[in-house]
Amino acid sequence: MLWKLSLTGIKSRRRDYAVLFSGLMLAAAIFYMFMTLAINPAFLKGALTISFSITKYVFIVGIILLSIITLVYIVYDNSFLLSMRKKDYGLYLMLGARTSKIGELIFAETLLVGFLATILGSILGIGLAQLVSKLLINQLGLQIHKFVGFYLPALLWTIVFFLALFFLAALWNRHKLVKSQVIDLLHEQQRPVNLRFHPVWKTIEAVLGIVLLAVGYWAMWNYKQLMTNSLWIGLITIVAGTYFTFDSLFSIVIRLLRRNQKFANRRLHSFTLGQLQFRLGAYTRILSVVSLLFALALGAITVGLNFHSLTDQAMESTYYDVVIYKHSPKVDRQLKHVSVRKTQNLNYKLVGTGKWQIIYVSEPQIAKEKLKYQHFYQKDGQAAYSTRTITPENIRKADEGYMQLSMLMPYPSAQIKLVSAKQYQNIKAKEQKTDFLLVNNFRQNFNQIEKLQHLAVKQIMDGPKVESSDITINLNNSKSAQYRLIASVASGFEFMGFFLGLAFLAMLASTLMFKVLSGAESDKLRYQMLAKIGAQVSWLKQAVRVEIGTLFALPAVLGIVDVLFGLQFFKSMLKNPYDRLWIPFTLFLVIYLLYYLLTVKMYEQLVLKNQH
Amino acid sequence: MNEILKAEAITKTYGARGAKQYQALKGIYFSLQKGEFVGIMGASGSGKTTLLNILSTLDVPTSGKVVINQHDLSSLNKKQLADFRGREIGFIFQDFNLLENLTNRENIALPLALQNVKAAEINEKVNAIAKRLGIDSILTKYPAEISGGQKQRVAAARALVHNPAILFGDEPTGALDSTAATELLTTMEKLNQEDQVTILMVTHDPYSASYAQRILFIKDGKIGRELEKGQASRADFYQEIIGELGRN
Ligand SMILES: Nc1ncnc2c1ncn2[C@@H]1O[C@H](COP(=O)(O)OP(=O)(O)OP(=O)(O)O)[C@@H](O)[C@H]1O
Ligand SMILES: [Mg+2]
Repeated sequence: MLWKLSLTGIKSRRRDYAVLFSGLMLAAAIFYMFMTLAINPAFLKGALTISFSITKYVFIVGIILLSIITLVYIVYDNSFLLSMRKKDYGLYLMLGARTSKIGELIFAETLLVGFLATILGSILGIGLAQLVSKLLINQLGLQIHKFVGFYLPALLWTIVFFLALFFLAALWNRHKLVKSQVIDLLHEQQRPVNLRFHPVWKTIEAVLGIVLLAVGYWAMWNYKQLMTNSLWIGLITIVAGTYFTFDSLFSIVIRLLRRNQKFANRRLHSFTLGQLQFRLGAYTRILSVVSLLFALALGAITVGLNFHSLTDQAMESTYYDVVIYKHSPKVDRQLKHVSVRKTQNLNYKLVGTGKWQIIYVSEPQIAKEKLKYQHFYQKDGQAAYSTRTITPENIRKADEGYMQLSMLMPYPSAQIKLVSAKQYQNIKAKEQKTDFLLVNNFRQNFNQIEKLQHLAVKQIMDGPKVESSDITINLNNSKSAQYRLIASVASGFEFMGFFLGLAFLAMLASTLMFKVLSGAESDKLRYQMLAKIGAQVSWLKQAVRVEIGTLFALPAVLGIVDVLFGLQFFKSMLKNPYDRLWIPFTLFLVIYLLYYLLTVKMYEQLVLKNQH
Repeated sequence: MNEILKAEAITKTYGARGAKQYQALKGIYFSLQKGEFVGIMGASGSGKTTLLNILSTLDVPTSGKVVINQHDLSSLNKKQLADFRGREIGFIFQDFNLLENLTNRENIALPLALQNVKAAEINEKVNAIAKRLGIDSILTKYPAEISGGQKQRVAAARALVHNPAILFGDEPTGALDSTAATELLTTMEKLNQEDQVTILMVTHDPYSASYAQRILFIKDGKIGRELEKGQASRADFYQEIIGELGRN
């Protein structure tokens, strides 16, 4: 009998359950997708061609973060479920149902909802993984080849992780229901405001919160001096500071606004302020978590997108875009696909074989051609390059310029000797020529350029009397090879930053959404009453927008500030973490805004539904 | 005399067309003069709340016409109706309907704030009505911190603070014990006699009804009998009401 009642209870709240269920499904889907990404060797191999020690670390951090966030998310989703059921179950208890029976019911219900959501979410995740890999990889022009949607270990991990969480949630719900008094269950929604407010203590708390935040930001800003200490200082002070600020500063501001008669007595202002004060008391924890998640998500996207700048470094590290060692019809045909900006060349004569090879170049040509290379140095702990010219002097001294020239030649182990024009003439060997090209739009024409470089290397490798092992070294020195290497690493990070960022965003925004929506039930009466005493529907809608807007905006503002300071960490890894900041910020805020609008719409549906 | 409310041929049918329908009101005619205190009585399910909701613009009749203060309600759009409610009508409900997250003062001030009255004027009016109803000492408290009777007086203050043309009450004493109920009823009587506030109150409690000057009995969706207090004392009127209820 009770089972049947319980089912009708669910049926009558189909829409709420749909919201809840889709949220849980989303969480499972995201978790699955990240797991495939993190532990699927096909993806890792395809994305990251070289072992990059930091990669593993980043993925592990990613999994930990995602697990924590999923946990928080499920806790709030679950409290939404519980808040929906409390009244019903309170009623059954009042009518004489046994507590143990009710405990059984909520336990089974939580587990069932969780199980279904996990299974459906995983299936959704497989489809999404396929879709996202296609979309994201194409959109970002990432160099990732293999990414399969279905990966069994990831699926198993997801199911185990979620079922364990739901089992705990079910235990928790049963505990909550069995331990609560019937009266509390029935009047859950009418709990009065937390009226206690100690101005002195709140002020101290607010000051403390701001000071802690300031210390945290200072620590992040001075990353160079504090090094890893700044991470710990920052983490602790910012988390605590955020909490204290939410717990005190905002309620003080709202209190002051409420005191201001002129402001408070306009239309629904006093109502909105009352609601917010009421809410902030209950929201401190979630707002703190959301603001930190916001920072993490936005940070992940910003840093991820910024990894693209690594390819700038790859471009800067080598001066010539293409080096052609030998012409052939094939090479010349490919050359037509590349728009060459400038060509320089160097004639030389190769004498000897094996270890005893000598490259003779004429001094006047070296002096005239002014071949260039990129000199590496460190500036503020970061890689930097300056362009230098190869002079006859360099070659005589066999210094950096000499090494650079030697790397540009197809025989890197050969010795280079400088001779006068007349001596050069007299050397009895076939004259050869190397072309050094600068091209237009390296990035856009990368594929054609890479092909050209390949062909050029292949020509000389296929030629007679050449030891090919030496030449492969040069292929790795070419700009296109460097670029491909770095781009594949950067793409991996970009993909992950993007993915984690969007996943965090989706979860944090829906966490906030659930929290807001779970209060809708109790707000319904308030809005109905306001309408009865003459509030226009448009004012009510405005009040809803402002109230929810404030709840969305507060953590966003703190989160953005967190990111602006947090990017300091990446200064050692990335050239300019603040570069083109507006792209990730805009993208992020637009999605956040959409979540806000969705929440407002759903809330209006729940709260203002029955108003004619 | 001054007619403040007029109801003509009001019917109300619940249920969508084609679905199971139920006619709760079957043609109600009556009018209310300015300064009257009228009670509406009837058995449970007879349509009292339905009628009150229609008269107070919260609901629309299926057919018929309501005129309040020379305004034909059917000619007003949604926005005008809300505005009209805000200016001309005050409500007291059985379950108080105070906002728990606002102080009592803020609760009372709401109708004025909704009409964008100046802060100073709001303050003045709230203080005046609070004094009138004897609740000036609890204004800074929250509804959760006061008794049921006090809550109902706060609700009454909120219903009256903007000088409405009519005060509607649906079982305003329903949730109160007899002392608190008497307190509220005497307050209403006083407001009616001294300030000429027009009151229309639904109740099924004969004691509450005895405070009214005229009682409409509603039965099967129509107004059946009507009792006038006239010069009779409240005790006599109370007897008369009991008698009338007994006849049904
Ligand atoms: N929203 C509705 N939909 C369908 N029928 C309704 C609705 N509201 C009321 N009714 C029906 O209309 C009739 C009149 O209801 P109403 O609430 O006006 O009665 P009442 O006189 O106020 O009763 P009580 O003294 O119990 O409050 C009842 O039979 C009720 O079942
Ligand atoms: Mg009723």
